[in-house]
Amino acid sequence: MAKEIIMPKFGFTQEESEILEWLKQDGDKVDKGDPIAVVSTDKISMEVEAPEAGIIGGIRYKVGDIVPVTRIIAYVLQPGEKAPETDAAAPASQAEAPAAPVVEEKAAQPAAAASSSAFSISPVAQRLADDLNIDASQISGTGRDGQVTKKDVEDFAAALKAGVGKINATPAARRIAQEKGVNLQPLNGSGSGPSGRIQAADVSSARVSAPAAQPIMAAAPGMGAIPGLTVLKEIPLVGMRRTIAQNMQRSMQQAPHMFLQVDVEMDAAEGLRKLANQNKVADAPKISVTALIVKAVAWALKQNPIINSQYTDEKIIEYADINIGIATALDNGLIVPVIHNADSKDLLEISLELGDLAQRARSNKLQPDDLAGGTFTISNLGMFGIDRFTAIINPPQSAILAVGKMNKVFVPDENDQPVLQRQVAFTLSADHRVMDGSQAAKFLTDLKDSLLNLGEILK
Amino acid sequence: MRELSYMEALREAMRQAMQKDDRVFLIGEDIGIYGGAFGVSAGLLDEFGPKRIIDTPISEAGIAGACIGAAVTGMRPIGEMQFSDFVVIAMEQLVMQGAKMRFMFGGKAEVPFVMRLAGGSGTGAAAQHSESLENWFVHVPGLKVVMPSSPYDAKGLLLAAIEDNNPIMFFEHKALYKTKGPVPEKMYTIPLGQSHVVREGKDLTVVATSIMVSRALEAAEQLSKEGIELEIIDPRTLKPLDEKPIIESVIKTGKALIVHEAVKTGGFGGELTAVIMESEAFGYLDAPVKRLAGLDTPIPYNRNLEYHAVPQVENIVEEARKLVKGQY
Repeated sequence: MAKEIIMPKFGFTQEESEILEWLKQDGDKVDKGDPIAVVSTDKISMEVEAPEAGIIGGIRYKVGDIVPVTRIIAYVLQPGEKAPETDAAAPASQAEAPAAPVVEEKAAQPAAAASSSAFSISPVAQRLADDLNIDASQISGTGRDGQVTKKDVEDFAAALKAGVGKINATPAARRIAQEKGVNLQPLNGSGSGPSGRIQAADVSSARVSAPAAQPIMAAAPGMGAIPGLTVLKEIPLVGMRRTIAQNMQRSMQQAPHMFLQVDVEMDAAEGLRKLANQNKVADAPKISVTALIVKAVAWALKQNPIINSQYTDEKIIEYADINIGIATALDNGLIVPVIHNADSKDLLEISLELGDLAQRARSNKLQPDDLAGGTFTISNLGMFGIDRFTAIINPPQSAILAVGKMNKVFVPDENDQPVLQRQVAFTLSADHRVMDGSQAAKFLTDLKDSLLNLGEILK
Repeated sequence: MRELSYMEALREAMRQAMQKDDRVFLIGEDIGIYGGAFGVSAGLLDEFGPKRIIDTPISEAGIAGACIGAAVTGMRPIGEMQFSDFVVIAMEQLVMQGAKMRFMFGGKAEVPFVMRLAGGSGTGAAAQHSESLENWFVHVPGLKVVMPSSPYDAKGLLLAAIEDNNPIMFFEHKALYKTKGPVPEKMYTIPLGQSHVVREGKDLTVVATSIMVSRALEAAEQLSKEGIELEIIDPRTLKPLDEKPIIESVIKTGKALIVHEAVKTGGFGGELTAVIMESEAFGYLDAPVKRLAGLDTPIPYNRNLEYHAVPQVENIVEEARKLVKGQY
């Protein structure tokens, strides 16, 4: 019987996915579990697996198509079979897509093969499983010699339904995920525990910003509190706090920082922003100062690739991708979601993305990919009323830009008459192993020019 | 240090308490001339005479009642249930009277007695002589419940129990009586309500009581060869329970296995599980808390069936290994 391949539902709120690539074409032979297509949702790309062995047929969508979840995208056929000629828009037969069999790039395949040789299922149970589009080999049978019975299938389906949208994880895994800002949803069902339960080790290995666990040097030889002082609270150095501590200490100790400052007139940029916001279409987002700065920084990075780089002991690597991390304060720490390819996005896209990332950062819903791949970081303490400050480079990057608040100042014009100007102080922290002062200065000058002539770079 | 058996350690504790304090006396069935059903009190009749080593008829309610009456009138009795199963006859005295007197008399009465009970299976004595009933008494406010697992603990805990001004249910294990271990000659006490980390390890917290402590230790030695390190905690007193070392250990290991001989349903393991789940250790659990306990059956007479009715070393090894590997 032709086996339907449906667009899987990866996340609870996900409604559609884009087909990024077909790894198999009509007529290709597949084994069960072979990846057949790459699809994307948000920033995560996932592979769709063949639900059983056979021949791919009836591919219904082309690369770039956006397909609602649970729609049939192709079939696995047995020799001699033809793909059914149904309406491409018809949803797959089951109402609710079960947890889709997907693999992440790194996730190990569950070793289903071991038990498959001994797998046995009663005919009526097989038919029911087919009707419900359940992979019966996942079910542990209670019948004679472990045969899967009809009741086993019914129980499995009920459990599946009850578990939709719930995450099967141990308390320790949940705690670590929360501390590290890891979303458990993509791992759901693929943990190493029983029934795919996510365990602590699964979260640790899935961690994006996983730095090799290094001991942190004691600040003072005595580990305890200072004798004679009353302790108000002790904050254990775990989770996000520990990661920040490790990264910042490593950066400060290993990367020789140099600091360059420039005060940039923001009147022109502000004028442009206000104009854009006045004329925006109703449901478009407002363009923020941060968005302007991200855009200008992306442009300046493009002119100065040495800033957009990474130091290693053998070489310096300049990146073509301009992925700008935005340091985002949380109640219990700091997280740096990334705007990928910021140089190729317009102000509207950047504003939208900034809003989305900030909101998801605060609600702990960032995906691993949101945090990965940053090549440069912006830290803006302007909203906290800070005029200017220096930041610590976010390893393995080579530089970070510290942004202060917009101030009004009087400056002399060409006739030495005072004029009122809006200014923002920018401080670049740069790794002197990677670049020299003149290169860092060139970047800052380009940044300044781009903000003075924002209209030009937006063309 | 000199080695004594569990039984000798208990006898020495009673002898030293009686030498030191003439308010202490012993009362029970066959404890005098016969020396006790298991020989724990052998020789004490010769040393202290029939006024302090009192043989009774088969009358458990009477033994308990005599202990309570003597205790409230200034003595420090030690009663013995030669099989803990027989305590059912004495329940009214122990639970209804002894446990409540201090409270119902507004603190004006103290009830300082120790009821020693020989519990546990392994002797082929079948369903009415092999039970582990400690959790019944854990459920009764006013009673303390003690379960020594080694000769050292047996002496120190019994001396602490005799000194305590409350009714104490002191559960000994028949199969431990002949096991040996180091025991100091001098009098010493182990405070009631102090858990003991018997073995340190990083992979799994095993909370075991009574004879299960030595079985857990044996399991730990086997698993150590596989690179699995068990941390073993003996609560020693089930009530009052010293929770802190257990919670701290579970925070460290992220996993807990509770092992006791008493039947699983309604056993102390359920209480321990709840203690862990309600504590800050919850957020550190990386697997469900598991209980390994006696089967829900009266202890069979058949020796093979008896063996399999309660946790053995190999069961602990298997359960612990599965938990540590996340294949529970």
